[in-house]
Amino acid sequence: MSEQRRTRRRLAATILVVVAIVAAFGVRLVDIQVVRAEQLAQESEARRSIPVALHGARGDIVDRQGAVLADSVFRYDITVSPRFVKDYDTLDDETGEITTRTVWEALTSIAALTGEDPAALLARIESELAADPDDDHAYLVRGVVTDIYQAVRDLGVPWVYAERVASRTYPNGQVAGNLVGFMGTDGPLAGLELGLDECLASSPGSSTYERGADGVQLPGTTVVQQEPVDGGTLHLTIDSDVQWFAQQAIAEEGARIGADWATAMVVRVDDGHIIAAAEWPSVDPNDVDGSDADDRGSRIFAAPYEPGSTIKSLSFAAMFDAGVTTPSDQVIAPRSYATIGSYRIGDAWDHGDLRLTSAGVLMNSSNTGTAVLSERLSLEGRYDYLTRFGLGDTTGVGFLGEARGSVRDPGSIDGHSAVTQMFGQGMTATSAQVASAYQAIANGGVRAPLTLVTGCDHADGTTTHAPTGEPTRVVSEQSARATVGILEEVVTEGWMRSLLEIPGYRVAAKTGTAEVAEAGGYGDERIVSVAGMAPADDPQFVVVVTYVRPDTMKTSAAAAPTFRTIMTQVLKTYRVPPSTQQATAYPLTW
Amino acid sequence: MSAAQAFVPVTAEQVAQAAPRRSAPFLAPVIAPRESRRRRPRIVYATVAVVGVFAILVTQLLLSIALSEGAYRISALATQASELDRDAQVLVESLDALRSPQHLAANAEALGMVSNASPAYLQLADATVLGAPVAAEAGGGLLGGRDTMIGNVLLADMALATPASGGGASSVASTPPVPGSLASQPAQPGLAGSLPSPVTR
Repeated sequence: MSEQRRTRRRLAATILVVVAIVAAFGVRLVDIQVVRAEQLAQESEARRSIPVALHGARGDIVDRQGAVLADSVFRYDITVSPRFVKDYDTLDDETGEITTRTVWEALTSIAALTGEDPAALLARIESELAADPDDDHAYLVRGVVTDIYQAVRDLGVPWVYAERVASRTYPNGQVAGNLVGFMGTDGPLAGLELGLDECLASSPGSSTYERGADGVQLPGTTVVQQEPVDGGTLHLTIDSDVQWFAQQAIAEEGARIGADWATAMVVRVDDGHIIAAAEWPSVDPNDVDGSDADDRGSRIFAAPYEPGSTIKSLSFAAMFDAGVTTPSDQVIAPRSYATIGSYRIGDAWDHGDLRLTSAGVLMNSSNTGTAVLSERLSLEGRYDYLTRFGLGDTTGVGFLGEARGSVRDPGSIDGHSAVTQMFGQGMTATSAQVASAYQAIANGGVRAPLTLVTGCDHADGTTTHAPTGEPTRVVSEQSARATVGILEEVVTEGWMRSLLEIPGYRVAAKTGTAEVAEAGGYGDERIVSVAGMAPADDPQFVVVVTYVRPDTMKTSAAAAPTFRTIMTQVLKTYRVPPSTQQATAYPLTW
Repeated sequence: MSAAQAFVPVTAEQVAQAAPRRSAPFLAPVIAPRESRRRRPRIVYATVAVVGVFAILVTQLLLSIALSEGAYRISALATQASELDRDAQVLVESLDALRSPQHLAANAEALGMVSNASPAYLQLADATVLGAPVAAEAGGGLLGGRDTMIGNVLLADMALATPASGGGASSVASTPPVPGSLASQPAQPGLAGSLPSPVTR
């Protein structure tokens, strides 16, 4: 009996122990699989899987023919692991010979490839080691181009690594450099790069891969959480060939006559597309430090000046439109014209009372004649027309830092400026605004908003940033045609005829020699410009050339030859048929 | 119970009969009557099982060798692809710099090319000459012998093309005129109002 009880007790104890063990395992199982399941899974995942940031490429900026103005490329930072820097053995694959190379030899080869000083490289490593003997990362040379990186990599130095970094290159250098802008180390700094960053910027993605205990990536474990999205391609209206030509032309002439700076605009009449927006001095976005800080923006959009007589074309188109005068209207241009107080308006040349038609006043660019005629328009009317031509407001381009210039409204203007404003003094405009106004005159009185960007093509096939503005009528077609006809007289009858005429084409142009406001009035500095269009019988292109504060030649004759070379090049490039009809002559005097 | 009896196999029935009588034997060896007569283990099954296990192991080994072989190939090809990408980028970069307008113009000048300041066209539809044709002057290139003033640091170490032997404008003048690009578009000459224009890009 006692034996049986003992057996039972033993059995019970065994069962108890088994149950206890099973229960313990059960609790542990629930704990791992249910209670802490998520946390543990994450922990294990984190221990194995390595996150990798995926970078999209920044979008290109291309001209109207697709020539790349700004391109995304990769550069390489050559890095070193200072604590492992020591002499190393290399194996020659062909001979099977093992040679030992010293640190100095390795650094000399790297320095020779990258154009650095080997001693400086060694000093960099030593200073890193002095700061932290276990240092694992230091930059040797930053931002080397791909083929140099390949050469350095092929040296096979075991403690030298490379990091790929996204970079930007501008294959055309200074061509359109001021428009395109440039990048700093942390992002865009100027121009379209900054202004339209929302189009160009890429959005990064993320992925992870898993690695084994030895740190090697396990094949097939790469998981992309989010695909990176490349930036959009920005399409410009610029023709880089014409842009270069215009830049070259104003650079040569600007340097010759000692101007402070110069601009040249080429605008297509039909749609207000900016074919070229050249300025000098210009910035090479590849080498920003090589240019003066003042030359890194776009003066075409950001630097308003008193344009002078080129504004007369606008005033006359306005006066024809308002019906206060006609091209054959007979006026007397006095020697000087009194406005308010002791203020008087005179002409660039001394004359008595001139018996001129309105056409003659514009063709001879008489300030006094313009003043007489302008007074026939109300203050509101003058302001209204000038603003409808786009003065005093930004152009449709919306360039970064674009200036509005100034046209004073009837409420704030004085009686003198209300007259001088009509011939471009006492008001300011940018080169872009002048070109836009001339586009309206050339286009039969309809001003199309200036366009620099035709669109941004995104990676997903959508297009944004398409031009939005609608063309607006500024003056009647008849008034615009009459103005163009008179501007043609400037070229065929004026004293700059030999500088402006293009064989085979009828050209219409207006010159301007503006005085520059300085402290205490107008000095002897000038801003000279020629604005015009061709062919006059059916204008296709507007060209505006401006030189600011030239030293050796202070008349618009300085700008005329440049106007002609640029216009000729544009007409050739776009195969504009030569004029076939004869011009109608306007009576200029009576 | 005799000693001989102790070696007689005990059947289940006997145990059952004995049970009420005897209290002690809680567990007793039982030999099923037929089991004893049944087979000794046959070697063929063991062989099949062992061979099967080995076959599976070998297959698995070969498979993983093949897989890792593939992984190495993928890795090698990926390396090659990225290397080719790099080469392509280098070439595109230098091509874009080479075809920048300032470089093209300087090269054209170096080869003795000149441009005509007076544009004129031959209209193929009716053989009329449009514009005022004037012979281009020697040295009338876009740059006219002047330096390009539009800098590009990317072009710093790119040499200009050198003219063929005989050099300069004279050798260009002596070559027979090539049909110009204006004539190179037979599809368009019928268009009267517009001038045929070459597609340059």
